[in-house]
Formats: sequence, C-alpha cells, structure tokens
Amino acid sequence: MSLSSLVPLIGVSDVVIGLSLGSRLFLIAVGLSLIFGVLGVLNFAHGGFYMLGAYVTLAFVTNVIDNFWLAAVVGALAVGVVGAVIEFAVIRPLYDRVDADLDQLIVTFGFVLIIHETVRFIWGSGSYSVEPPALFDFSVSLGGSSFGAYRLVVVGLAVAVLVGLWLFITQTYFGSLVRGTSSDREMASMLGVDVPRLYTGVFFLGSVLAGLGGALSSPLQSTSPALGDQVIIDAFIVVVIGGLGSMGGAFVGAMLIGMMQSLGPQFISAGSIAIPFLAMVIVLLFRPEGLFGGFGE
Amino acid sequence: MTTVLKTEDLRKQFGELTAVDGVSIEVDDSEITSIIGPNGAGKTTFYNLLTGVLQPTAGSIWLRSGDAAVVGDGDAAGGDGRAGGDGGLRDITDAEPHEVAQAGLSRSYQITNIFEGLTVRENVRVARISHEKTRLDFRSRATGDEALEADIEELLELTGLTDIADTKCDTLSHGEKRTVEIALALAIEPNVFLMDEPTAGMNPTEVTEIVSLIRELDADLDATFVVTEHNMDVVTDISDRIVVLAEGAILADGTPEDVLTDDRVTEAYLGSDSV
Amino acid sequence: MSATTDTGDRVREFGAAVADGWTRERFGLLGAIGLILMAFGPSFQIYLFTDFLVVALFALGFNLLYGYTGLLSFGHGLFYAGGAYGIAVVLRDLTPVFADVVGAGVAPLVAFVVGGVVGLTLVVAVAVPVGWLSVRLEEIYFALITLAFGMLGYSLIIQDPAGLTNGTDGIIVLLGSVDLGGLSFRIGARRTYYVLTVAVVLAATYGTWRVVNSPFGTVCKAIRESPDRAAALGIDVRHHRWMTFIISAAIVGIAGVLRAGLASVASPGLTHWSTSAIAVIATVIGGATYFSGPIVGAFIFLYIRWAISRFPTLEAYWELFFGALLIGVVLYFKQGAVGGLLLARDRLLGDGADDAGGTEADSTDDSRSDDARTDRGDDS
Repeated sequence: MSLSSLVPLIGVSDVVIGLSLGSRLFLIAVGLSLIFGVLGVLNFAHGGFYMLGAYVTLAFVTNVIDNFWLAAVVGALAVGVVGAVIEFAVIRPLYDRVDADLDQLIVTFGFVLIIHETVRFIWGSGSYSVEPPALFDFSVSLGGSSFGAYRLVVVGLAVAVLVGLWLFITQTYFGSLVRGTSSDREMASMLGVDVPRLYTGVFFLGSVLAGLGGALSSPLQSTSPALGDQVIIDAFIVVVIGGLGSMGGAFVGAMLIGMMQSLGPQFISAGSIAIPFLAMVIVLLFRPEGLFGGFGE
Repeated sequence: MTTVLKTEDLRKQFGELTAVDGVSIEVDDSEITSIIGPNGAGKTTFYNLLTGVLQPTAGSIWLRSGDAAVVGDGDAAGGDGRAGGDGGLRDITDAEPHEVAQAGLSRSYQITNIFEGLTVRENVRVARISHEKTRLDFRSRATGDEALEADIEELLELTGLTDIADTKCDTLSHGEKRTVEIALALAIEPNVFLMDEPTAGMNPTEVTEIVSLIRELDADLDATFVVTEHNMDVVTDISDRIVVLAEGAILADGTPEDVLTDDRVTEAYLGSDSV
Repeated sequence: MSATTDTGDRVREFGAAVADGWTRERFGLLGAIGLILMAFGPSFQIYLFTDFLVVALFALGFNLLYGYTGLLSFGHGLFYAGGAYGIAVVLRDLTPVFADVVGAGVAPLVAFVVGGVVGLTLVVAVAVPVGWLSVRLEEIYFALITLAFGMLGYSLIIQDPAGLTNGTDGIIVLLGSVDLGGLSFRIGARRTYYVLTVAVVLAATYGTWRVVNSPFGTVCKAIRESPDRAAALGIDVRHHRWMTFIISAAIVGIAGVLRAGLASVASPGLTHWSTSAIAVIATVIGGATYFSGPIVGAFIFLYIRWAISRFPTLEAYWELFFGALLIGVVLYFKQGAVGGLLLARDRLLGDGADDAGGTEADSTDDSRSDDARTDRGDDS
C-alpha cells in the first residue's frame, strides 16, 4: 500500500471531528487539572460535575427559557456552587491529614456515587440530547464529507476557555495569588493570603469549568447517568498525559487523544481503545510531570 | 583510632544554590563528633547526602562496613568480610537509603520519625527484623523468634523503654518518642550513628535525661556517634570534637575549647539570627 | 496414649476458653457453627453469603496493599478478572481433554482445580511486571497507574485481539457434574459451591493472616506508618511493596476464580475500575487498619445492598447510601465498622472485656500525628 492510497482515508471531517473531540476532552479535563495543580486534590467526582452541567443545561432549556447560551452559564454556575459547597464541607477538613491525598480521592469517589444516583433520581436512566443553538444548527461540507457546524464552535470555545484562563491566571490579582499559593502554600499563607478561601475559590472555578464543559458539549453527546463515569476516565488520561496541573498540557493532551480517537481506528483495529491507557502508563512511569511541563504553562 | 566515616570534597547543588560546598571530613571511632552551624548552613543536606536520601553533585562518601554489636552475642552479620576499598572503608556515595543503613550507618531524625501506630516493642522489632534480614519471611510468626525477642528486650532495657514497651507510640510523650527514635536507630547495630538534633523540642528535664542516655550509650557501645545540635550546652557537654558548618563549608574543626573561642565561629553565629 | 491425652487436653482447654467470656475461641466456635448452619439455609441466602465470602476475600487481598503498606490501588479488578478468565478459559477449552485423560466422571473436578491453579498462575504472572512498574510510584500516582493498568486490561479483554476472551460477552463458566461411582454431585450447585467457597476462603484468609503477622507483615505495617523511616532501618521499601503487591494480587486472583464459578461467567466488567472500587468501598467502610476490616466491610456492603433491594422504591439507589457512608467514614470515623464494633464492645463490656479482637487492631491512620512526617530541606 502506497502512501498516496493512505492519505485519502484521512478526510477533513475526520480531522474536524478529532479536534472537536479533543476540545470536548479539554473542557472536561481543564478544571480537573487546575484543581490538582493548586490544591493537590484529584477530584474523582469531576466527571460527575461535568455530567451535572449537561443536565442542568438540559433542564433549563426545556423548562425555563429556550436559550442555549444562557442555559450553559446557569449550568456552569450551578455546578460551581455545588463544587464550592463540597470543597468547604468535606474536602477542607482533610488537608492536614497524613493521608490527605488518598482520603480526598476516596471522599470525592463517594460523590461519584452520590451524583450518579441523584441524576438518575431526578432525570431517570434514559439518555437525552440537546439541540445545538439554532444559529449553528446546520451542516458544513468540506472535502466531500460533512459535519455539524457546532463542532467547529466547540473547538473555538475550547480555545477561548484556554486563552481566557491563561489571561486570568497571568494577568489578574487573583491569578497571581493562585500561582503563588500553588508553588508554596505556606509562604502564601505567611504573606497573608487567605489560603482556605482561595482553595474554595479555585475549586469553585474548576467546578464551573467542569459544568461549562458539560453544558457546551451537550449537543455533541447523549446525556445519561453513565456519562460521568465515562468522562472521568478520559479526563484522567488527558491530565496525566498533559501533566497534572498544567492547563496548556491539558489542551495538547486533549487534542492528542481526540485525534487518536478520531483517526486511530482507521489504522489499528484491535487494541485501539487500549492505546490511551498504555500511553497513560508510559507517561506516569517515564514523565510523571506530564509531557508538557508544570503548572500554568 | 580508626576512621569510620569519611567524605571527600562532598558537594550538593540545587540549581544555582550550593547547599554543601566541598566538605571533607574524617570521623574517628574514639570520639563523639558534633556538627553545628547556623540555620541554612547545610547540616540537613549534609545528613541527607550521608544517608543516601540525596545524591551528591560531586565528591564521595566512605563508611567502615560491618556491624558494631549492640545487643545479643555480637555475632554481627557481615563483620569485616565485606569491607573493601580504602583500608576497610566502603564507598557508599551512590547507595540508596536502605543500602546505607545495611552498610552500617544509622540515623535519628530531627522531627520525630517513628512508627506511630505501632507499640514501642513493635517499633524495635521492625528494626531487628530488618537487621536479622528476615524481612521477606512471610511464613514464621513475627513474635515467634525467641532470640529476636530477647534482643528486643535487651535493647528496650538499654534505652530505658521497658516500662512503656507495649504502649502505642502515638500516645507517648515527646521525650519518650525521642528515646524510641534512638532505640530504633541503635537496633540495626550501626557502626556510625547520626543523631539529628536529639534534644529538639525537649524540656530541660528531658534534655538532661537524653544527654545522660547518649553518654551511657557511647560508653557501652562500639557505635560512633555524630550529633547535630542547636543546644550549645549539650554540644559542649557531650562532644570530643566540633565541626562548624557555615554556608555549606567547614568553618572550623577541633576540640570544643578551640572551636568555641574561634572568632570566625562567633561571627558566623552572630551574623545570623539563630542560636 | 499420650496423643489422646494431648487431644483431650486441647479440647478441655478450648472448652474452658469458650466458657471464659467473649474470648477468641468463643467467637471462633460461634462462627464455625454459623458457617455450618448457613449450609442448610434457603438457596438465595446461601448464594448471598457465598457472594459475601468472595467479595470479602477480594477486599482482604486489596487491603494487604492499602491497609498494610499504604498504597491505594484502583486496578485490582485486573487480578479479580485474571483469576476468573484463567479458570473460564481452562473450563471452556480443556474440559474435553481432561475427560479423555481422567475420565468424564472426575473431569469437571480436575478441570476446576487445574483452572483455579491456572487462574492463580496467570494473575501472578501479570502482577509481577505490573507490580514492579507500579510500586515506582506512590499516593495519587500509584492510584492512577493501577487504574490505567486495570483499564488497559479491560480494553484488551473487550477488544480481544488474541481471540481468547470472547469480547464484551465474556466466557460462560460451566462447572459440570462429578460422578465418582457412588458419589455424584454438581460443583456449581448452591450448597456444594458454598462448601467449596468456605473452604477456599477460610484457607486463603488464614494464609493472609499468617502473612500479616509474619516478619514480612510487620515490616509492611512499618512501611505504612513511615516509608522513609523504614528505609533508614535498611528496608528496601520498593522491593517490599512489590512483594506485597504480588501476594495481594494472588489473593484477589483466588477470589476471582471463585467469582467466575459463582456468577457462571467471566465478564469484562470485572476488570473495570468500578469493580476495583468495590474493594475500596468495602475496605474503607470496614476499617482499613484492621485485618478483619475488609471482611466486615464486605458483609455490610452486600447485606445492606440486599436489604435496600427489598424496598422497590429504594432499590435503584443503593449507591447513594454507600457514597454517603464512604464520605462519613473517611471524614468522621476512619476506624470504620470494626473500629466502631471494638469501641462498642469496650463500652458495653467495660474494661474487663477480653482482648478478642485486639490482636487485629493495628492502628488508626488519622491518629498518627503530623510530626511523623519528616521535613527535609528546611536547612538547605
């Protein structure tokens, strides 16, 4: 098989789908990475938060006002509040424990179960889909294949979130406190930073990002109670490959996995879903700080 | 007089910062050596280099191999058979912490580091199991080895811990924990015993007790003691020799009288806000 | 005969111990009677209890690593599945061969035993490299790499590149009927399988108990309390954790073998992280620092789930209960159910209570004070 016969297999639409999958993964993972980078907490319930964002958006669109963008903002903020409450009530008491890391992982795992069942209680076991906003509800034809225009929008939104977050961290006063605290908590505390409040703030922000991710991705996925469990594993893969705590790393890691998911099956059939996990193992062993460096990069 | 521990031009760099800057030192088995210096002088880094926690940027570390009997019949495993290299000294520069300990260098910690959830006796038992190299034996009963139990008993007596032997460590007083710290380090029958701030956080009574314990142990045992200490009364009391570190290098080295009257030492201390 | 006298003495001694308050002997005797009575219970209750025994062994194996060396694995489902698939493949592919060699009458029994050994061997063969790599990491990173290994196994079993695991459907496990001339029985029959499970689980539990109380296990506890202190005493912490990992995986593998027979299928879900999480839930609820913690936790897990399932309106939401319980235990009472039971016993029976469960008590994690941590680099 010559190279020229291989190339046509990769259609433009495959690339766009890969980018949109990657963008969705970024939106799932970025908040997880932010929280780990600053607080050192690996939030197992992050996938649940993401799912909750999608459900709240869905409920808002169907029951309150049929405006997708407004619904997404409401979904994101609602999840942010849930996250802040959880941080304050159950994660904060654990920071000073010897086994803080593992205890926090177990506690947030408890919320995986709780959110899963709560969602099922309210919305049932069925799966829902959300219509993309009317403005983008059309197909784009490119290179002989077509895809929904909203996929391109999600790519744009992911880039916007990355840039916005980067500006927020590097250009604002709150951002400088976050950076300082993530590199040396004790020093920040001595310099008068209210670390517990900052932690709640960062957890709120990370949860907002999770909710926003779920809301913005809702037109691209079917929303069911199983969604949280699925995406948390993807989020773990992305943040490990990109580097736990690194926002830029999360972006590159997400795009890598997204492209792999889109293009991979055309080249390898057997074992293709194993590759991300294999990559995760290899990165953890040889570059536990991730492929793309430290916090905020 | 035998050299038991030696460093040659030991150096440790953290990025731009030189924490230990070319320290060459020989420790003799006939003396208690104290290493002192203001905060930031590099004492902890130096200890971490010796014990294999950190790898030096340059230089080498040599240790006299074999065990110095502490308890039991003195059939110290290893003996002198493994000794090699520089006149019975063995190069431990690249050794990992557990290898350093097995080679005969033991330590206690400035911030108490014992097995808090276990009883005093269990703490010492862990160390003895490690020393007897039965740590991978998963078939016998841990408490079933009579010789081992007798050794534990002897060690508890030696360190005055017999009365609290079956108390869980997290309920002990600070002074008692500091003593367990010493018992643990001694239980592996070291040639050289590095004590990191043995009196840290102690009240005056406890300090008196621990100092007399150290004197007793030094007299009774073959192990060579190296001590870092903030409490200058303790230092002058127990040391035969004092090494002063400042900014990662040796500033002075000699008997307590010589070193403590040395102007440079006074200056190094007064120049910082510690002591 | 002196042997008879010895036996007589022992029986008398045991009897005295049983009569002498709530001793370990009395608990043991009551437990044995309970296990025997259970065999005459209703079929579903036998099934539920067998299920409990298997999950208990699964959690017990997991906890050897978590409770005794401080490493939290989110991938022990891999070894659970390894045992299950090992025996499933042997039963599927080799039963006819055994029938030819040893005769159709005993073939199912031989296949079961060989399958169990193959399952266990397979698990150890996987655990040796997986453990060697995993113990290079600690804490969160260890949890993540074991999760990745588990999901890697899950992906491979699902996609089945070697054509061995039958993809998402899994492999049906048929235990068959044994016919030894006059004696004939079905291995998979509720009561028979219960007796078999009790025997295997008791033996494996006793083995684990011996490991925990051996010099090896004593060193494990020290590593849990302070790895760097253990290293400073000459203990190769990484090597020790590796060995513990392998033993832990082997115990979980035995539980996996039993699981396959009980469920009549080896399914890919066993490798999924949500199965690994069952061991975490049971262990934490029961109390990770006690030998019996995972066993009690598994009991609570299965029987509360069953109790909830009796109420149709609540049935679907049992996970909610365990999520809340898990959070409550970690936040407020990390000694877990066993710690609670010991506390209750002390309260009820006063100080005169015999130290029956006391030997199991090792410590509670959160009672360790913070100064156990060493602070390096404060001087550099």
